[in-house]
Amino acid sequence: MTLADARAALPTKSIRQQFGETILDLAGERDDFVVLTADLMYATGIDRFGAAYPGRMFNLGIAEQNMTGVAAGLALSGKLPLISGYAVFTALRAVEQAKLDVAYNGVKVILAGQSAGLSYGVGGPTHQSCEDVAIMRSIPGMIVLVPSDAVEVDACLRAAMRHPAAAPIYIRLGRGAEWTFNAPGRPFEIGRSVRLREGDDLTLVANGSMVVEAVLASDALRSMGVAARVLNLHTVKPLDVAALEVAARQTRAMIVVEEHSVIGGLGAAVLEALAEVPHGPVRRIGIADSFPPIGPPHDLRASLGLSAENIVAQALDLLRRT
Amino acid sequence: MALTFQPLSGNALADMAQQNRIDTARMFKAAGNGHFGSCYSCADIVTVLYFATLRIDPTNPDWPDRDRFLLSKGHAAPTLYSALIRRGFIPEDWIAEYETHVGARLMTHPSRRYQAGVDASLGSLGHGLSIGVGMALAARLDHKDYMTYVLMGDGEINEGSVWEAAMAAAKYGLGNLVGIIDNNGLCVDGRTDDVMPMGSLVDKWLSFGWEVSRVDGHDLNALLQVLAPRRLMGHDRPHMVIADTVKGKGVSFMEDVRSWHSDSISNTQYAMAMAELGALQ
Repeated sequence: MTLADARAALPTKSIRQQFGETILDLAGERDDFVVLTADLMYATGIDRFGAAYPGRMFNLGIAEQNMTGVAAGLALSGKLPLISGYAVFTALRAVEQAKLDVAYNGVKVILAGQSAGLSYGVGGPTHQSCEDVAIMRSIPGMIVLVPSDAVEVDACLRAAMRHPAAAPIYIRLGRGAEWTFNAPGRPFEIGRSVRLREGDDLTLVANGSMVVEAVLASDALRSMGVAARVLNLHTVKPLDVAALEVAARQTRAMIVVEEHSVIGGLGAAVLEALAEVPHGPVRRIGIADSFPPIGPPHDLRASLGLSAENIVAQALDLLRRT
Repeated sequence: MALTFQPLSGNALADMAQQNRIDTARMFKAAGNGHFGSCYSCADIVTVLYFATLRIDPTNPDWPDRDRFLLSKGHAAPTLYSALIRRGFIPEDWIAEYETHVGARLMTHPSRRYQAGVDASLGSLGHGLSIGVGMALAARLDHKDYMTYVLMGDGEINEGSVWEAAMAAAKYGLGNLVGIIDNNGLCVDGRTDDVMPMGSLVDKWLSFGWEVSRVDGHDLNALLQVLAPRRLMGHDRPHMVIADTVKGKGVSFMEDVRSWHSDSISNTQYAMAMAELGALQ
């Protein structure tokens, strides 16, 4: 079976749809839960929440800085606000409000950034978001989560909602249909990676849309006699340093794959964590320091090497040199 | 206890406003410099709020029913610190450590991490009104009658986020939200009208859907009236108080002088300022 066949055999689900379903479900659990959006109610899939809970839905118009400050004010007065926007606007347009109004004031606001990475690939660089993880993880106290499919989006939102920290939680999300591969019901623990495949030859570290590619790559490598461990690092911050150190000890090399700039993202975070412990070569697959071209998400990712096919090729090359 | 606190008026209120300026000068003396002009233009406003208007409790700074005050022009923090000291939220001996050492509890901009009674950490301009909108919305959700006051500078309102917040407050009809503009006519680089002309502030806020009052920002009785809380009185528009002030008010050689926005102070100048403010040396 080719990698394309293996991928095509997986079911898919829209991230936006899952997000909307989970938000609606969680709203029933907590009266203090409020949702804010900047004219992206339909576009981020929260229209059913808005219809069911009109008093807890605040549409602030196309004004993300104010929206983020309003969320901080609500949190400072005892509410649990969730901002539902696009990653570019949530993480970049309103970054100072995220840093000061929310993080510095020490309140919990869930900052949900949809259409992250290349998931709105046809939108071009104005709507692609390849810097958000780098920016968000540099803010003191910010928790950064990057779930990998609809199942994990659901689990991640529930974990974020229940997390006790008085700190903002940035959740990086896709947009349209993504492959679904996680087993339903698996607990999502913030800060704890998930080992999806065993192997001692090398480690594939990934998050978001790249986890399924890493899993497919691992399966393909196994048929070639290479045992590739797969770590799903859905939490970029706080990073599961322990799991990375174990992987660095037990495997010969590491490849980090992310739908994000190679500057400041998961690959950078992993290298920071491993800098002071012995480790083999670490290769990063991500978006180079350039504005990506325009295209449908899955094709665009593949064109930039964000695919199981490229992970396999890079793994074989890396092991040959190691 | 807040509820037993006797609001000040008349000479007692005026004396407290002078005390505020004296405390502020002491903090700046400790640091060697400070935002004199920015503090003295709003000292009367802050004094009226803390000694006559706000429903607050120094023994319970996070009381959910308290009125909120957001010093959006955060660089006037010593004015707020003085009010918090004189109301008993934080100790008076902190004045001497203002900006003096690593770990000092009083710094240029207010922080709820370090100072009890500060409702939000502020300092980067254009943030307070949005946070105030959120607090006013929360009051409505919780059926609480607390008020939220946000003090901004007239230069600060160049920030686009202020106008984003202005629209939101009007959309939600936040009659429990009061904005105050410390309209001293000067920002760091010169006259606000030269640095960025904004036309009529009254017309601007009216057109954004706010109720607008204009007041002499140094007339304590006028401030008392215009800032009086309107709890659950059916007001459905946010209220903007444009307070005409003099930058550096209270110290003659600082009044309406651009450079006193923030400056270092010599021993002689300090002595002159304290004498004018009626401080016992």
